[in-house]
Amino acid sequence: MSQAKGEHAILDPALAPPFPQAALPVLRNPQLRKNVAHAIDVIQAKRGRLVAEKADWQELREAAAAIRAHVLENLEFYLEQFEERCTAAGGHVHWAADADEARQIILEILRQAEATEVIKIKTMTSAEIQLNPFLEAAGIKAYETDLAEIILQLGEQEPSHIVVPALHINRSQVREIFARRMGLSHLSDDPKELTNAARAYLRQKFLSVPAAISGANFLVAETGGVAVVESEGNGRMCLTLPRTMITLAGIEKVLPRFQDLEVVLQLLARSATGERMNPYTSLWTGVTPGDGPQNFHVVLLDNGRTSILARPKHRQTLKCIRCAACMNACPVYRQTGGHAYGSVYPGPIGAILTPQLAQMHHAQSLPFASSLCGACYEVCPVKINIPEVLLELRSEVVNQERSTAGRVFDPLYLGLRVAHLIFSRAWIFHLAQRLGRIGLRFFTRKDGWIHALPSAGGKWTQTRDLRGLPPQTFHAWWAARAREGK
Amino acid sequence: MSMHASSRQQVLARIRAATHPAAAAAAAYARLPRPYIRRGQRAAGSCVGLLIERLRDYDAEVVEAAPEELPATIAARLAASGRRVFVAPPGVPAEWLASGYEWRVDRGLSTEEIEKAEGVVTAASCAIADSGTLVLHHSAAEGRRVLTLLPDWHLCILRASQVVETLPEYFDRCAQPPAPHPSDQSPSLGTPVLATYISGPSATADIEMTRIKGVHGPRYLQVILVRDTN
Amino acid sequence: MRASLFITCYNDTLFPETGRAVVRLLERLGVELDFHPKQTCCGQMHANTGFRAEAFSQAKRFVRMYQDAEQVVIPSSSCVAMIRDQYPGLMQELGNAELRGQLEALLPRVFELSEFLIDRLGVEDVGAYFPHRVTYHASCHGLRGLHLGERPFRLLAKVRGLRYLPLENMDRCCGFGGTFSVKNGAVSSAMLAVKLQDVLATGAEYCTALDNSCLMHLGGAMHRQYAGMRTIHMAQILANTESSPMETTP
Repeated sequence: MSQAKGEHAILDPALAPPFPQAALPVLRNPQLRKNVAHAIDVIQAKRGRLVAEKADWQELREAAAAIRAHVLENLEFYLEQFEERCTAAGGHVHWAADADEARQIILEILRQAEATEVIKIKTMTSAEIQLNPFLEAAGIKAYETDLAEIILQLGEQEPSHIVVPALHINRSQVREIFARRMGLSHLSDDPKELTNAARAYLRQKFLSVPAAISGANFLVAETGGVAVVESEGNGRMCLTLPRTMITLAGIEKVLPRFQDLEVVLQLLARSATGERMNPYTSLWTGVTPGDGPQNFHVVLLDNGRTSILARPKHRQTLKCIRCAACMNACPVYRQTGGHAYGSVYPGPIGAILTPQLAQMHHAQSLPFASSLCGACYEVCPVKINIPEVLLELRSEVVNQERSTAGRVFDPLYLGLRVAHLIFSRAWIFHLAQRLGRIGLRFFTRKDGWIHALPSAGGKWTQTRDLRGLPPQTFHAWWAARAREGK
Repeated sequence: MSMHASSRQQVLARIRAATHPAAAAAAAYARLPRPYIRRGQRAAGSCVGLLIERLRDYDAEVVEAAPEELPATIAARLAASGRRVFVAPPGVPAEWLASGYEWRVDRGLSTEEIEKAEGVVTAASCAIADSGTLVLHHSAAEGRRVLTLLPDWHLCILRASQVVETLPEYFDRCAQPPAPHPSDQSPSLGTPVLATYISGPSATADIEMTRIKGVHGPRYLQVILVRDTN
Repeated sequence: MRASLFITCYNDTLFPETGRAVVRLLERLGVELDFHPKQTCCGQMHANTGFRAEAFSQAKRFVRMYQDAEQVVIPSSSCVAMIRDQYPGLMQELGNAELRGQLEALLPRVFELSEFLIDRLGVEDVGAYFPHRVTYHASCHGLRGLHLGERPFRLLAKVRGLRYLPLENMDRCCGFGGTFSVKNGAVSSAMLAVKLQDVLATGAEYCTALDNSCLMHLGGAMHRQYAGMRTIHMAQILANTESSPMETTP
C-alpha cells in the first residue's frame, strides 16, 4: 500500500507513501518542477509588492492572530452563537463529529432536495472528507466549478495547492485536458481561450443544477452569516442560483463579529494571491426571501479539530485562514509541489495539520519535511509559529517510534543516541573526535575531502562532498596555546 | 436532523474539555489589540483618485461625472457598450434608464430573463479606495445578487460621498444603523444581511498565474463616479 | 572586556580555523577570551530532530556551564537561535524553577559574533583586509531567528579590499536543515542546487556566512562540482589583516 501507483498522487494520509519517497517522482519530473516554481515565483513577487504597500501589515497580523486565538479559546461560545443566529435567519445548522457523519448529513440533504447533480465551489474541507467519490457512489454527480478544480476533475488529477490547486499544470497541459475531455480539438493554449471554454462548459450547469456545496472562509458568530472569497464568480453562481445550498465548514472557521472581517479580509487576498482584494467576496445570512437559495444548511465539521484544540502548543494550527502564503514561501514546497505531502493540505501548514487531523496515526514523515528555515512563520498572516509546532510534532513522532523494534537499529536513531552519549561528557566527545578522525581517514582523499560515505552518511555524499576532519580540533589548539602561555 | 443531535453534544463537550476561557468572551474580546490603521490620512479628493487608480489597476473602466451630468454619462456608457438589452433593480432612479434601450426592471424577473440581458446598471453602497472595492448591500437600487452576476456587463453608479479610504472605515459605516430614508445623506449603512464586495471584474489566475479577466461573473465592470461632494 | 567562547561542536571538530579566527579577531579588539574546556554541543541537532529529552540535557549542561560567564560569544547563528528560541521551552517543559531562572539571567548575555561586535563592542571597522570578491549567504537562523539585519553587511562594508557582490534570493534556505539534509536527502539536494545556482551566479571568489553549517552544505556541493568558489566563515574574513594574512584551508 505504501507505493504510489505510477505517478498518480495519493492524497490520503492513511495510504500515501512517506514524504521523502513521495517527493521522488516530482524531483524527477522537470516539467512539473518548472510549473510549480514559475507559479510560486509569480505569486511571491506579487505578494511582496502588495505587502510592502501596506504600512500596517505587522499590526494587522498582530490583530488577526489575537482574534483567531480568542476565537479558539472561546470556541463553544461563538459556535453556539453562530448556530443560534444562523438558525434564526432561516438556516439549518448540523454538527458532524467526523468525516463520515459530514458525508451522511450532506447526502441526506441532497436526497431530500431530490438532487442528482450538485455544483461545488472549491472547498478543501470537502476534499478532506473525500466527498466527491462518496457522492458519486451514492449516485450524485458533483461538478467542480473553480477553473483549477475543473482542470483537475477533467484531467483526473489531484490538487497540489490550496489556493491555486492546479498550479503544477501548465497551459499546454490544460489545453490537452480540455481538448480531450470537452471535445474541443480546435482549442489553443491561450489562457484566455481556455478560460472561455470553462465558462461555456459550466454555464448551463449553473443555471440548471438544483443544489450547491461550498466551504466557508469565515462564519460570523454575531450575525450568523457566512463569508466566501473567490475570484471567478463561480462561487457567486453557486451561492445564488440553486435552490439548495450546503456550506461545509471546519468548526474553527468562526469569527466573533462582522467587524472582524476588516482585519482578515485585508490580510487574506494579499497573502493568498497577491491582490489587494480578491474580485468577489460574498456574505450571506441564512435565507433571504427572493434572493438566492431558500434551503440553506451549514455543516460544522470536527474531524479531529477538537483534539488539536485540546493541546495548548498545537492549538495555533487552527488559527489558519487557508491563504497558502506558507507554501508559497516554503523552499521545500517549491521543489516538491503539493502531492508529496500525501494530503489535500500540503506545504508547511499541511505538514502540521495533516498528522494532527490524523491524530498522529498517519503522516509521521510530514513534520520532518522542513528545513526549519522559518519562512512560513514570517509570512503567516495569523502568525502561526509553524516551526514551533513542527518541533512539537517531531518530538511526538520520536517518542512514538524510538522504542519500536524497527527503529532501534535505524542509523539515524542509533546515530542520535550515540551523539547524545558523545555530547554528554567532554572526554567522550574528545575521544569520539579522535576515533572519527581515524575512521574517516579511510574515506578521505588526498585533497582532504570525503567523496563517499556508507549508511546515512551516503545520503549526504550523494550530492555533496564533506571536508575531512582537520588534524587538530579547536579545543586542542586552545589547550596547546595555553600551555605555551599564548 | 435528530439523528445527529448527539454529535452536537459530543463536539461541544470536546470543545468544552479542550478550552478554559479565563473570562467572559465579551470582556476578553473588548481587550483584543487593534493596532492597525482605522482611518486613512488622505483628503476626500485624493481618496477618490486612489479608488479610480486601483479600480483601473484591476481592469475596471471608470469615468467621473457631475451630478447633473449623470443621465447623459450613463447614456454615453450604454451607447459605447454596443449593447441593447439591460436589466436594472427596481430602486434605481427612472432617469438612469436612458431611452433607446430595452430595459427590464427586476420586479421578479426569472433567471432566464436575467441571463438574456446584455448588461446591468446598479447603484452601490460604498467603495473602498485602498483595495479598489465596490460594496453592494443588495438594496432596492443595487438589486438581487443574481442581477449583477449573470449579465456580462455591469455599470455601477457610485457617489464620491460613498468612498472611504480604508476597509475599517467601511465597517465603521456598517456599525451605525442605516438612515431611515434613502434621501438622507447619512453615510451609515447598518450591518448587511447580504453583501458582495467586488474588486475588479471576475478573474482567474489558475493557469500559470496569468490573470485572465472574466470567467463566470461579468467580464466588464464599468464605474461612474458622481462628484457629489466638494 | 571579558567573554567566554562557545565554539560549538561542529566548529570544534570540523572548522577549528573559524575558532582560531574568532580568537585572533576578538583579542585584536581587546577582548579577554576564555574557553570552557568541557563544552560540547548546544543540543540543536537533537532538538530539531525531535529528541527533546536529549536536547534538554545538553541545554542544562550549557546553562550550568555558562551561568557565571560575563558574556558568551558564539560564531554560529543557528546555535544562538537554538539557545534563544528553544531553551526557554525546553526548560519550561523539563526543567525546574532554578534552571529557568539561570537561563533567564544568562540569555541576555549570549551573543552571536556579529551581534557581539556591533552591539557589544560597538565596532563596525575591525581593521580587516580581504582583497577578494565576496558574496554573503544570510543563513535562515541569522536572518529570521536572530534578525541580524544589516549587521553582517555593515561589517563587510568596512573590510578593506573586499568587493561585496549581492546574492539573488538571499532569504531562501540552502536546504541544509541539519538531519533534514539526510532524512530528506533528495529534497535537500534539490534545494541546494537552486541555491548554488544563485551563489555561483554572483561571480564571487568566496561565499561567506555567519554559520558554518550552511557553508558546509554549500561548500560540499562546490567541491563536488569543481566550482571556482570557496566558502569562508565571516570570522575568517574579519580576522584577516594586511600584516597577518589568513590561514589557508583545503
